[in-house]
Amino acid sequence: MSTDDIVDDLTRDTQNSPEELLTRSFFFVCAVLSIVTTVSIVVLLVTEAAKFFSITAPLMGIEGPTASIVDFLTGTTWEIGNRRFGVLALVSATLMITIGSAIIALPLGVATAIYLSEYAAPRHRAFLKPALEVLAGIPTVVYGFFALIYITPVIQTVLPGTGTFNLLSASIVVGIMIIPMVASISEDAMSAVPDDLRQAGYGMGATKFDVSTGIVVPAALSGIFSSFILALSRAIGETMAVTIAAGSQAQFLNPIDPTAYQEGALPMTAAMVQLLLGDITGGGLAYRSLFAIGLTLFVITLVMNVISDLIAQRYREEY
Amino acid sequence: MATDTRSGDIESFGTVSKTVGTVFRYVLLAATLFGIVVLGALLVYVANDAIQPLTADPGWHLTFLLTLVLPTLGVGAYLYRRDTDALRFGATTVGMTVVTLMFAGGVGMIFVDILSPFVFLAYAVALALPFALVLALQRRARRIPFFTRAGATTLAFYVSLLGVPGPVGAVAGLPTIVPGVPALIQSLPTVPLGWMSLTATLGLGVAALVGVYAARVRDRRAGLFAGVGALAAIGAAGAVGPAFGVTSVPAVVLASVAVVPTATYAAGTAVSRPERRIGLLVPAVVIGGALVGEVAVGALGFAGPQSWVDWQFLTSAHSRTAVDAGLYPAIGGSILLMVTVALLSFPLGVGAAVYLEEYAPDNRFTRIIDVNISNLAGVPSVVYGLLGLGVFVTYLGRSTGTVLIGGATLALLILPIVIISSREAIRSVPNEMRQASYGMGATKWQTVRRVVLPRAFPGILTGTILALGRAIGETAPLIMIGAPSVLFSLPTGFTSKVSAMPLQVFAWSSLFASEDFYTKAVPAGVVVLVSVLLAMNSIAIVLRNRYQSEQ
Repeated sequence: MSTDDIVDDLTRDTQNSPEELLTRSFFFVCAVLSIVTTVSIVVLLVTEAAKFFSITAPLMGIEGPTASIVDFLTGTTWEIGNRRFGVLALVSATLMITIGSAIIALPLGVATAIYLSEYAAPRHRAFLKPALEVLAGIPTVVYGFFALIYITPVIQTVLPGTGTFNLLSASIVVGIMIIPMVASISEDAMSAVPDDLRQAGYGMGATKFDVSTGIVVPAALSGIFSSFILALSRAIGETMAVTIAAGSQAQFLNPIDPTAYQEGALPMTAAMVQLLLGDITGGGLAYRSLFAIGLTLFVITLVMNVISDLIAQRYREEY
Repeated sequence: MATDTRSGDIESFGTVSKTVGTVFRYVLLAATLFGIVVLGALLVYVANDAIQPLTADPGWHLTFLLTLVLPTLGVGAYLYRRDTDALRFGATTVGMTVVTLMFAGGVGMIFVDILSPFVFLAYAVALALPFALVLALQRRARRIPFFTRAGATTLAFYVSLLGVPGPVGAVAGLPTIVPGVPALIQSLPTVPLGWMSLTATLGLGVAALVGVYAARVRDRRAGLFAGVGALAAIGAAGAVGPAFGVTSVPAVVLASVAVVPTATYAAGTAVSRPERRIGLLVPAVVIGGALVGEVAVGALGFAGPQSWVDWQFLTSAHSRTAVDAGLYPAIGGSILLMVTVALLSFPLGVGAAVYLEEYAPDNRFTRIIDVNISNLAGVPSVVYGLLGLGVFVTYLGRSTGTVLIGGATLALLILPIVIISSREAIRSVPNEMRQASYGMGATKWQTVRRVVLPRAFPGILTGTILALGRAIGETAPLIMIGAPSVLFSLPTGFTSKVSAMPLQVFAWSSLFASEDFYTKAVPAGVVVLVSVLLAMNSIAIVLRNRYQSEQ
């Protein structure tokens, strides 16, 4: 090897050699793909939903039947055959499942997080954490079947008059499904609380109970709230379990009324599956209503995710 | 004020009530266990419905209790007291046997019904030739300019796969002068038997891996012996399989995917950690006990349980009657979907993670990508289904419900999860290692390829397996893209219609809803689906634990 070779080697431009540029652009394209996905979701949902509403349909050059946006957002009857598209009937069912699953998942999830972060011995953690992961990993179809076949009969013996399809069983399984999500994000927040704070508490004579409830939980509150919102957004978007267990008859129910949980209803996601399984002609009004519901769902979950992000960032205690 | 303090307050130092704390602790424990216990009970119920253990003869239970359960418990308890590491080794071997057997079932299905072993051989040779050429070129001459090397590589693969002048020439109207290697091999007058092709491809690959592993455990000579031995064993399985009632192709798959890897792991650990050898008692007792029990039950004439999860259920298609219904096309569809999803999401997800962790400048655009990915992870799966429906079917005009569209939709769905877990794995690579690599004069890409990715690989793999587990259980996106819920034959390629296990379970529990399906076909389908998922989850957890203890 001559000296020139060595000098060449040592002074070569490694940043902009073709190989470096090629690999860097490949990685960049991969990262940009996520933006492309989001943009295409938004564009697709907005353009297809625009063809559905009578205000915007002429802009898209669509002739034929359309639906009024006011009726869509305020109507409480969902009957595709009669062209009555009141999304509130679907939203009320989704809301009820969200409330029902929240009643189960939020307290249990936070309690699990406190136990794992403050009380559990490392040996028990090593067993409990994978078990909770399995809870989140079971397919939602399986949860739906469990709700319909095993949980509903139990409910029917306790509360006679409950229908075969009911929102209560759907809420229970969705609640179980999202416990791990609440637990793992809250636990991360609690583990991030510095040990000095706990030691200070013990130094003041506090018991473990006082330290957990009086110091750790308040310090991790922003993380806990953001886990709540993320889990609820997951409950709203949950599809197969509610499709199987909650029924297929759309009706507007009062979410505050506990007895309404014994009835069946049609949540948004289940309505989308039902539309697809029925005979819808490509490009028809029913087909476009699919995208209108999809847009509603996407906006609700997106707003919740953004709020959760904001809470986690803005109200995080800096240590 | 100290003087004002009543004496009772000071005394209370010694009399803090423990009750509240104790109650609180057990309430927390109960809350933690609630979900796990409920799910466990439901799984027991569904397994009972599907397998019906109570329909078996009491004698059947007694036989297996004596031959399988009691000896296993005995050996387990003995090892637990004596040497937990040995017990863990034994249990891992048993687990590996079960998981590799399931995996072999899937691979066998591909080679029996989807891809002919001979075609596989033809393409394997066509890919191996230019690969070997490029490797030799790289070893011989290191200083070729990048573009020459890239051009030569592309040309070699093109000629080998498609021939001269190939499709490009065909567009220009040129006649084929030399056909590609796959076409050449497939036009051979004598066709090797299926199991021979498979031994030469799958068997050779597995044998090479076995050789490398053995060489690392012991030395080069041992590696050579182990590799040749493995290849001989796989070939022998194909040759003698039919004599024992197993067709040759499945026999080769069984040997190369299940038997040889498990035996290699057991033998390798026994050689490198002699003190754990006693752990081999566990698989011996479990497998031996099951075989002895089976023979004894047959000889004594005890009837087994009337399980709905049986060979007939696993190998037949949907039927109107629950008793005859099976899961075969759905299992095949799920396998093909997983292959597609893995091929699409792994490179794209890891690529995005590498960009964000290693290359991305800290600017607004990077932060947008960052926020965007975490938001994509929260988008409901039905919406991804709508995306697949709208983009692939309505705009690109593809036919509904094919393997490719289903796979692409599911890949987009799990991409954020793959990216997030890969980023964590890449972030955990210590910075000193990168600096050391730069210090030796390596470029960024060389550092990523030789230092960062190998070190982060186990973590990336764990995250990807967990994400694939999510994809295999998804139903809603498949319904959205119009996958048929009832399919009577396996998909034959990437453009044929596909069904999947969860979709079939959904169809049985909603479209064909009847007492018969509820108590027979659906529980059986749920048991198969959950077993596959638990197997994938346990692989991921074992990998992660091993990886974490290494660090």
